[in-house]
Amino acid sequence: MTAQSGRREVLHVDGLSAGWGPMRVIHDLDLNVYAGERVGLVGLNGHGKSTLFLAIAGLSGWQRGSILLDGHEVGRTRSQGPGRYTHLVVRRGLALMPQGDEIFHGLTVEEHLDSGAFTPRAWKERGERKTRILKIFPPLEALMKTPVGRLSGGERRMVSLGRGLMADASLFLVDEPSLGLAPKIGKSVIAALMAVELGGSAMVIAEQNVGLLEGRVDRIIGMHAGKLKGEASVASPLSSKGPAA
Amino acid sequence: MNWSFVIANAITLACIYGTLAIGISLTWSSLGLINMAYGFIFALSGYGAWLASQYIGPNTPVVMAAGILTGVVGGVFVNALAFIPIHDKPNYQLRGLIATLAISLVGNQALLWSFGPRAKSLPQLFGTGSVNILGVVMTADKIGASLSAVVLLTLVLLWMRSSRRGLEIRAMMMNPHAASIVGIGVRQTSFSVMALTGGLAGLASVLLAQTYYVAPFSGITPMVKGLSIALMGGLGSVPGAVIGAVVLGTNEAFTSTLLGGQYVLITQFLLIILILLIRPRGIAGILDKAREA
Amino acid sequence: MSRTWIDPLSGFEPEKTPREVATNDYLSPQTTWRETTRFKPKMYKVGRLNFFYKWPGHGGHLWWRTRYWPTRRRVLNIGGSYNRKTLRREKTILDKRPIWWTMAFAGFLLMPFAVPDDLWNTVMTAAAVFGIYAAVNLCWMLIIGTAGIYSLASYAVVGAAAYGATYIAILTGIPWWMLPLAGAAIGLIFGVVIALPAMRLDGFYYALLTLGVVELCRVYVIQSRVFGSATGGLYGAPSYLPDDLSQQDQLLYGYYASLVVMVAALFLYRFVNGRRLGRVLRMAPEKKEAFAAACGVDYRRARVSVFLLSSTAIGAIGGFYASHFGGASPNLFSFDTLLLALAMLVIGGIGRSEGAVAGTAIVVFIDRVLIDWGPLRFVLIGLIMLLVVLFLRDGLFGIKPQFRAWRDKKKSERRATRAEKGGEMLPEEATETENKDEIYYRRFDKMQRDFIKRLVTNEVIEEHRSRPLGQHSEALDRLLIYFRRQGQIDKYAILVTEEFKAYRIVALSGHRGTAPRVVEDKVYPNPNEAYHALFLRRVQDLLEA
Repeated sequence: MTAQSGRREVLHVDGLSAGWGPMRVIHDLDLNVYAGERVGLVGLNGHGKSTLFLAIAGLSGWQRGSILLDGHEVGRTRSQGPGRYTHLVVRRGLALMPQGDEIFHGLTVEEHLDSGAFTPRAWKERGERKTRILKIFPPLEALMKTPVGRLSGGERRMVSLGRGLMADASLFLVDEPSLGLAPKIGKSVIAALMAVELGGSAMVIAEQNVGLLEGRVDRIIGMHAGKLKGEASVASPLSSKGPAA
Repeated sequence: MNWSFVIANAITLACIYGTLAIGISLTWSSLGLINMAYGFIFALSGYGAWLASQYIGPNTPVVMAAGILTGVVGGVFVNALAFIPIHDKPNYQLRGLIATLAISLVGNQALLWSFGPRAKSLPQLFGTGSVNILGVVMTADKIGASLSAVVLLTLVLLWMRSSRRGLEIRAMMMNPHAASIVGIGVRQTSFSVMALTGGLAGLASVLLAQTYYVAPFSGITPMVKGLSIALMGGLGSVPGAVIGAVVLGTNEAFTSTLLGGQYVLITQFLLIILILLIRPRGIAGILDKAREA
Repeated sequence: MSRTWIDPLSGFEPEKTPREVATNDYLSPQTTWRETTRFKPKMYKVGRLNFFYKWPGHGGHLWWRTRYWPTRRRVLNIGGSYNRKTLRREKTILDKRPIWWTMAFAGFLLMPFAVPDDLWNTVMTAAAVFGIYAAVNLCWMLIIGTAGIYSLASYAVVGAAAYGATYIAILTGIPWWMLPLAGAAIGLIFGVVIALPAMRLDGFYYALLTLGVVELCRVYVIQSRVFGSATGGLYGAPSYLPDDLSQQDQLLYGYYASLVVMVAALFLYRFVNGRRLGRVLRMAPEKKEAFAAACGVDYRRARVSVFLLSSTAIGAIGGFYASHFGGASPNLFSFDTLLLALAMLVIGGIGRSEGAVAGTAIVVFIDRVLIDWGPLRFVLIGLIMLLVVLFLRDGLFGIKPQFRAWRDKKKSERRATRAEKGGEMLPEEATETENKDEIYYRRFDKMQRDFIKRLVTNEVIEEHRSRPLGQHSEALDRLLIYFRRQGQIDKYAILVTEEFKAYRIVALSGHRGTAPRVVEDKVYPNPNEAYHALFLRRVQDLLEA
């Protein structure tokens, strides 16, 4: 309930319920994410991981509950109009990389990365930031001028992740980065995510495959039927049949 | 038959109607709104330019700037009234269409009431004189009109490609959901889009007023022509609009020379019907699939 | 704030001093129930809701009802029920719309007698125009609302039928009653021509096509000498009124005749929209036709048949128009007429017959009767159109359902902001949960938790610390029973690491085969301390929930 001593809470979710129409997907969920940590969110399909991320961004069908992002309240009781306030939430410091890529199929890779730089400072510095992201995702360098609609799944995923890294977000929500990718490419994508310098930000990665995250994130939280179940950290590692199974 | 006159006419008309068509296409593909108040913005800009020519001075930059600025103001006004209140409500497209129609009705009547039914004319912006290019005699106003339209359109399209606002508009055209994830707000961008298209209407109005005149209902026919070009070229596609503008400009030039001005609309609509029957989504209408549903 | 509880078991050992423990003041478990169920809303006068007025009477007679012979249709839809308080049966009118329609018709019929004399001509011509336009709009509403085809060519059909009928009348001299028939034939042909592209185009593209057709007709008619370009219209059709009537009577009978046409159009609307064709088309709304096709419904054929039927009807009305006005003029094809007609539809509400009639009445009134206002009247019409489209989802007659939906949404939002965690369900979920008992269980659980939270005090905790097992005071007992009732999933338990020496707290998984998870690292040296630590954990969870 109270923040651990000395650690700033980047995300504090209190009593979040969200759903789509008559279906309630998330039931009274509490979650804290602290600065500088990487959290893994594991659970099967349909248990609410994506909806949780969408609710934080204001894109779920309806939602209720308090969400504090860096101390600012971004959650509100809302029963219609998903996406109305999303851009404001994003400007408060949220980078959402949703499941399956949300890309602009006619824009080139370079323009995609540019579109991620929405603060004036990020826009001014976009050249150096792009170089930095190309270091994280080297295959994109050759594809800078190609329209993203023509790229393969792995390349699109890299563009989508790179776009999220362009602005100075304090919270990164990455939804299933290895979805639909060949295992080798999935591993490289996750490795790239782990290589990102967090500084004062935090990252939450939702994944179905626990093995990809084990040992590389600070905490793993299980999600089942819209509620968080079980937590494992570096101190108390997961048993083979963890609570999320 | 005076070929040079026909060609010159065709080029000028294509440029001007193409501007309108691109404006309508842009509004539709980024906002999902068919702006039937475009004719009103057109007429309003004409009057704005006329007022500037009366009270400030008849020099070209002043008149053109006044026309464009009035168009921008008109576009923002229509946006605030017809897009912002209803863009996420149910049945939005039909309601937006009717709302802009209503604004057009009220606005045209208001213009009629304030300025009277007599047409006003704008001063000659490009002077008299003519140039002979490859046997085609182009008078100064036609050259000026086509050139300004092409130059300004190119500038606008370049701006759309290089600036942050332009990127936002293009992103919203393709995927409004993803756009909100990258911090692009629909409402803020809609003001940019409508201001831009309003400015285009203002430009077209000032240029077209060289050949015709400024009157309260002068916007309706150009808007219908622009709308048909945009629909024919495929809503949302700039190349399609350009092709459509060329086709219809040529058609108008030919028809008015050969058959007479009253038959222009007949031939135009026959042509459109033909094209729409062959390609139901317009010449280049691929983007429409992304917009629907 | 505190009392003393005396352990009743100490009665078995009367020689020792009874064990006394400090505990809470008594708090009745009824408190939260009473507070939650207390009636908070503002109260109004007692009595029946006036608009649901109930009459005494059976209301459910199966053997004797007034019907429209020869059909089996009842005059009013009356439902009866049994009032448990007064022990009588009573009946109420379920659907009052026939009454409103009857009143409206009575108003229409009696309207000529209420018109002031100096306005007679204006009002009566306007009223006849209203009747004809209302009929056309009703058929147009069938095309746009029921069939979902955005055709803007209805008034073009009227014009074509009027021109055609007048032309035929001038050529062949047919009597007036054949004009609507000729018009109907022309309307059918025109309808077939326009319906063909509707299969390939849809939405705004089709609207543009019809706009083109209207424009084509206009320009053709203005050009053509045959169709009276010189006289500004084609005149010479026979009128259905006898020639020797005074002008006043002519206008009066003309008005009544157009009312008859409007009633005929209403019948057509009802027969198409209310019966099979309308149902089939409601199954296939815009963008969801695949569902209808998958159910074996041929929605394309239904759409085309509605379109052709309406076109024929509109053509017939066009023939009547020719007979009424004595001819046809090109302003039927103008953009202004189209805009006004669209305004009529939109103001009333798309998809409702009362909307078409009301919208037509409003617009025709402003346009024809307030003619002194000049261009200002179009400003007024435009403003009304704009306001209706901006604020109302579905026109004027959609206000009631829209208001109800908005009120329900506000109620649920207020309830949601008040609700704490684990409280009420939002109506969206509540209407759709399978087991409705879930709603009541959650309400009860919340009340119970509220009560139990108030029982947690320092005295109770101290009492548990001194004796975790054994007889407890009433407050502590209630607390413990509540804890024991919660489910097995995530239930705290004590793990014996070493008998009598080391105990730890774990949480059960609730699933067979899954080991419990360790909650903390602390090891307790004796069971009592472990029990108390467990109790404290449960209390903390309760207070957080």
